[in-house]
Amino acid sequence: MDLSPRHELGEPDELRRKVHRNRRWAVLAVTALLIAAAAFVTAQGLRNATLFFRNVDEAVEQRLELGDRRFRLQGRVVPSSVRSESGVTTFQIIHGCVVASVRHVADPPELFTSPWIPVVLEGGWTSGQVRTVAGADTHYFLSDRMLVKHTNEYASANDQRISEEPPHDFLDDCPFDVPAAKS
Amino acid sequence: MSQIPDSKHMTATLGTRILGSVAVAAVLLMTLLGLVVSPEDLVQGHAVRMLYLHVPSIWIAYAAFVLTAASSVLFLIRSRSRADGGRHHDRLAGSAAEVGVLFAGITLVTGMLWGRVTWGTYWQWDARLTTTVLLFVTYLGYLALRRLPADPIVRGRRSAVMALISFVNVPIVHFSVDWWRTLHQKASLSVGRRPEITGEMYWTLLYSTLTVTVVASWLIVHRYRVIRLEELRDEEALNALIASRLREDDVGN
Repeated sequence: MDLSPRHELGEPDELRRKVHRNRRWAVLAVTALLIAAAAFVTAQGLRNATLFFRNVDEAVEQRLELGDRRFRLQGRVVPSSVRSESGVTTFQIIHGCVVASVRHVADPPELFTSPWIPVVLEGGWTSGQVRTVAGADTHYFLSDRMLVKHTNEYASANDQRISEEPPHDFLDDCPFDVPAAKS
Repeated sequence: MSQIPDSKHMTATLGTRILGSVAVAAVLLMTLLGLVVSPEDLVQGHAVRMLYLHVPSIWIAYAAFVLTAASSVLFLIRSRSRADGGRHHDRLAGSAAEVGVLFAGITLVTGMLWGRVTWGTYWQWDARLTTTVLLFVTYLGYLALRRLPADPIVRGRRSAVMALISFVNVPIVHFSVDWWRTLHQKASLSVGRRPEITGEMYWTLLYSTLTVTVVASWLIVHRYRVIRLEELRDEEALNALIASRLREDDVGN
């Protein structure tokens, strides 16, 4: 019994082989595309993911080594330090009881106005005398991109009013005072 | 000899109709709870409502990929010893992976929208986002592999191996926020840790997870049956062809 397809072709298996060949090529092409996409994603991930940002204390400690290199800086915004003028927002961020002064030259995201919100800034160190809540500093962070890093804490807006107080234990070991409200 | 049910009842049974009705009602209630009853977040405002779809979606994607991996292991063990080649496990692995990919996709889309509002960007290549998109792409690859023309048992074995390789990424996605510094926040709920979500928000999240589980179960059952119907269709077509050739041979003789 002959079970092969019957078509008007020179070779009886030709059409079946052609269909299979075309389908195999299509699936191989899709698979190759997916592998290429996975490789691209992995490469991007390995480059950026493992050290997505430096905390303020680390970035200040590595200031010489970083030079004017561009990197991401993370810390909580000191609410009393936020000023905005002519499209430039200046403020201070703190992490590990180390403070950095920031000059941000783009529009901040909406949640930036929340007190003590953690932010990730893209930019680099720039020379310049500044004064922070921790004292005088020789550099500030010039930033042109800000990402708000919200936490995994969720609380009903009906139950609580937004507090100007820092998160629990956050400033306990700091050898300086941080004013709660704008002076 | 046909095992294919009529077109009105292709994949539905009384059980799936009840499950589907429960799923629809549960989604309506979830929408009401998520959009109306649960309050705004103190910091994020209304954007927090994305939580009720985003978090359950990735949990269900994880669960679906666990089911795919477990079914793939059972298929690899039983495909040689069972008369039907253990294809039930292969079908279950495939249908769970399809639903897992769907919910991983929903996680990515809702995460991007949520990120735009809260972080200020749709996308960043941080560890959580990168591993999640890798998870999505590898399981898409798994589904593509399942479509390769081959003997069903051979294809099932190849797919099962691919499913196990892809599964390695699931714990990496989950723990990426603990292992590396990420823009993405840490897990909203963890075993052994006091939840950081309170009141109606907490219960809405748990209810949404239950709802998404019901929807996913309903989809998996239907997808399983569709895969079985495709197999039956192919078997019927082959049987019809054999019968027609046998008739032709009889006439020729």
